[in-house]
Amino acid sequence: MSDETQTQAQTEGETGAELEARAEAILRAGPRRVLVAGARRKIAVELIALLLSDPRVDKVLAVAQGPCPPGLMGHDPRRFMYHQAGLARRRQVDNLFLFEEFREHPLDTVVHLAFAGNPKGYDASRHEYNVNAARHLLDAALRHGIGKYVFLSSDAVYAVGPRGDFKVSEDAALNLDPEVSATVRDIIDAEFLCRAKMDHAGCEVMVLRPAGVVGGGVSSGLNLLFESNPPVLPIGFDPMINPTTKERLARDLALALMVHGKGLYNVAGPSAGPLTRFLEARGVTPMRVPGPLLRSTNRLQRMVGQTRYHAEYQPKRLFYSLVLDDSRFEADFRRHAALVAVGGSQGAVDEPFA
Amino acid sequence: MVTPRLDLVRTLLPERERERVEAYVLDDAGHGTDVFGTTVDGLGNAYALAYWLHRYYFRVVSAGHENVPLDSAGVVVGNHSGVLPFDGVMVTTDVFRHMDPPRLVRFMVDFFVYSMPVVGTLFRSLGQIPGTRRNFDGLIEEGHLVGIFPEGADALGKPMEDRYQLFPFSHGHAELAARHGVPVIPFGVVGAEEQQAVISNMEPLARAFGLPFVPLTRTFPLFGPLGLLPKPVRYYIHYGPPLTIDPAALRSVEVRAREVERVREAVNAQIELGLEVRRRAEGGRA
Repeated sequence: MSDETQTQAQTEGETGAELEARAEAILRAGPRRVLVAGARRKIAVELIALLLSDPRVDKVLAVAQGPCPPGLMGHDPRRFMYHQAGLARRRQVDNLFLFEEFREHPLDTVVHLAFAGNPKGYDASRHEYNVNAARHLLDAALRHGIGKYVFLSSDAVYAVGPRGDFKVSEDAALNLDPEVSATVRDIIDAEFLCRAKMDHAGCEVMVLRPAGVVGGGVSSGLNLLFESNPPVLPIGFDPMINPTTKERLARDLALALMVHGKGLYNVAGPSAGPLTRFLEARGVTPMRVPGPLLRSTNRLQRMVGQTRYHAEYQPKRLFYSLVLDDSRFEADFRRHAALVAVGGSQGAVDEPFA
Repeated sequence: MVTPRLDLVRTLLPERERERVEAYVLDDAGHGTDVFGTTVDGLGNAYALAYWLHRYYFRVVSAGHENVPLDSAGVVVGNHSGVLPFDGVMVTTDVFRHMDPPRLVRFMVDFFVYSMPVVGTLFRSLGQIPGTRRNFDGLIEEGHLVGIFPEGADALGKPMEDRYQLFPFSHGHAELAARHGVPVIPFGVVGAEEQQAVISNMEPLARAFGLPFVPLTRTFPLFGPLGLLPKPVRYYIHYGPPLTIDPAALRSVEVRAREVERVREAVNAQIELGLEVRRRAEGGRA
């Protein structure tokens, strides 16, 4: 048991046995065998490294279209497998649960990160990949007795505008504007598939809506904006944001896998502030253009290769605040981070979740 | 490129007032603002200008500050008028100036303000946020004073013949105050209704620009945007005793309507008081 956890337990008057009992009630029992779909994403690479640092994770099966990314090649082959599969194909998805390695000890957790968010070149096959992958993975997960299914959604599902709340909770209005980007519609579709199965008795279905991820070379909208040269913002607007990081999001995902719980949760960074303050903190100076010229300037910037950010994806995002309220996730999951760390520290690596 | 030194505005403030600004405690969300977007710099600069307006331009006379909670949440409700919302600015300045420690009234602002470049960001940096239920809940839960003009933004374009006649009140403030069990502090502003003489509302233009009204006054649109500036009338602001809203307002429309009417009467009483004080002070002017 870590010093911090012991101190916390002593403060609360809990004995070691009581703490263990509480941990048993909160944490999912047994070693984890996790399927991570969309393993080529940077967040997946981070999550897999974190999971493999925990001795309670028995095996990780990483699945994606295309070859294994270099960041995953160094893992212990006894605990890590990489497999290429077309997730939009039902049969290929079903086969993932039938590997010989998992016959005696089957997979018990699915993390669905396979989502193509880039609006460039969107077509029907992208839709099939985004939505059918969620459907096939979830169906297969329920058929094969998976105990937990986690889908990583996005904060792009929220409607953003001048009527915005200072903190957006999970029950806020969704962006169902007919003009909305097709990839946002796909995320909402995939979420609805998950939400339809949330009452399943045998499987805890979770949807996480993360705030924009900044740093770590990820391809989130916000990070692509930060990496632009220069980021272009509308004159007279400075929205409030609370972005997270790749490392924090990976920790949140890992907590979601380890702790009992289901439903829809926001996950966000620890601090909120105006967008320009986050840019200043990274030494980035934005360029300002009048609001109506923002999209055409963005298109021009993309044409000359100065940005990969798509202003059309969330057109109002640079005008209006979007601060996610993740107090529910804090109460249901992060609060137990120390408990999760109790088991994690028994192995070689100390407290990966704390 | 020359960067404007906005902080120089603070030299308008006397030393004692500068200390009050610095004493204002902001719950920093991590990047120099609170979670609502309020910044101490923004507050300080705005207060410097507003203090000058409060003291020398509108020469505000106010009373009843003892009715405003010192450190707990409350809903501050009053009349609205004057084309541009200088009444809200003066109430916020007045409370900030006369409370110790200083308190900031955070008004629930109409949504259209936040779709305007610069203005929306400015309002947010001053702690004034869009009028949604969730925003109200958040402010009250964190113990703030929330300001509401239940007549709505339409009242800003109140014509001359309706001076000091209250428009019907919306019910939200009473319902939310009852839900949170916080008091409603009525206030009356006298003077703002004379700062601009509204002759008519140019409704087609208002619809075209998505604004609640576009006024026709003696000076606007004749002198362009400058014609919207207020006359230097003296303001009289009075705060009435706090009202406790009957929790039954959450269960009955009739009770809620009765409670809203009670708040309206209390605001009206403060307006009458202000008019009476002005009559005595200015030698018979009503």
